Amino acid sequence: MRHRVVETLIAWVVVAITFGCTPPQPTPDLLAPTDAQMKIRSIQTHSFDVKDRQTAMRGVIAALQDLGFIIERANESLGLITAARFAEPNFYDIVGISVTIRSETDGRTTIRANAIYNNKPIEDPKVYQNFFATLERSLFVVKQ
Amino acid sequence: MMPRWSVAAGAIVMAMGLMGCVAQTHPQDLFQLQEESLRNRAMQTRVFETKDEAELLSASAAVLQDLGFQIEESVREVGFLRAAKERSAREYGQDISRFGIFVLSTGLIFVQQPPIIIAVDLHQKIAATLVTRPINADATRQEVRVVFYRVVWKGDGSAGNQSIAPGEQRMEMLRDPVMYQTFFAKLSKAVFLEPFAL
Repeated sequence: MRHRVVETLIAWVVVAITFGCTPPQPTPDLLAPTDAQMKIRSIQTHSFDVKDRQTAMRGVIAALQDLGFIIERANESLGLITAARFAEPNFYDIVGISVTIRSETDGRTTIRANAIYNNKPIEDPKVYQNFFATLERSLFVVKQ
Repeated sequence: MMPRWSVAAGAIVMAMGLMGCVAQTHPQDLFQLQEESLRNRAMQTRVFETKDEAELLSASAAVLQDLGFQIEESVREVGFLRAAKERSAREYGQDISRFGIFVLSTGLIFVQQPPIIIAVDLHQKIAATLVTRPINADATRQEVRVVFYRVVWKGDGSAGNQSIAPGEQRMEMLRDPVMYQTFFAKLSKAVFLEPFAL
């Protein structure tokens, strides 16, 4: 009886080791865009009817400040803004966001936002919808 | 019977779990304007009747310098400034309570435990981010928005046989209206303009 238990154990250990030894083969489409990536990108990207990129950048900064973010860095020539805030009321969790602003040829501006929550990327579409809703309001105020 | 240490460990885990529940936040709420967003905005913002944004920005930099800040970053094209200053964070109140708790906990010596020494705030970095932007089409009105926050470093202490290492960090937004009023009072003097609130 006892022998059998030991044998089964050894068999399992051997199986585990063999599995551990076969390295996962890299597939040729390792760096190819996946459906999930495309989906996240479309969630994070929004196009606005703003011609001037600087106006759009100022709008983004104002929207982030309204949301209580601390602007950390702004780079006009790259159209890049990074900001962070605490997940108030607690001061342990941190939300970070980086926004890129690019002018399109058709007189519109494309804005892409990447947000992280405690160093984990946020993939919830609702978060980005809320952000772009706030941004839209802020850009509209700028235009008046 | 369960060993005593496992009961203690369980209690600690439960306490941590409970604490985690109290402070739980959802990212989607953080990207939505809250009730206090408007109040904060009104406190942090003033509008100036001027066309010269560069002048307003450099006056803001000068005022921050007058207040002892070092300018760390500036981007003129989008009217952005970031400044910081480092100061002592010692408060008498904290030192008094540190002493009080030490005296009260000397009783622990009878159970062969050292007295408790709580960590007090030692050092702080106060930072400001400032943004100017035109708010009407022909840019005759400029809005200045400033946000202050601080990082505090704690000193060392000890609880029981555990020593608390120095350097524990804490950050907080500064929401004292007087601080913002003082800043804007100085700024309006610097640009010879009377600001108005939103």
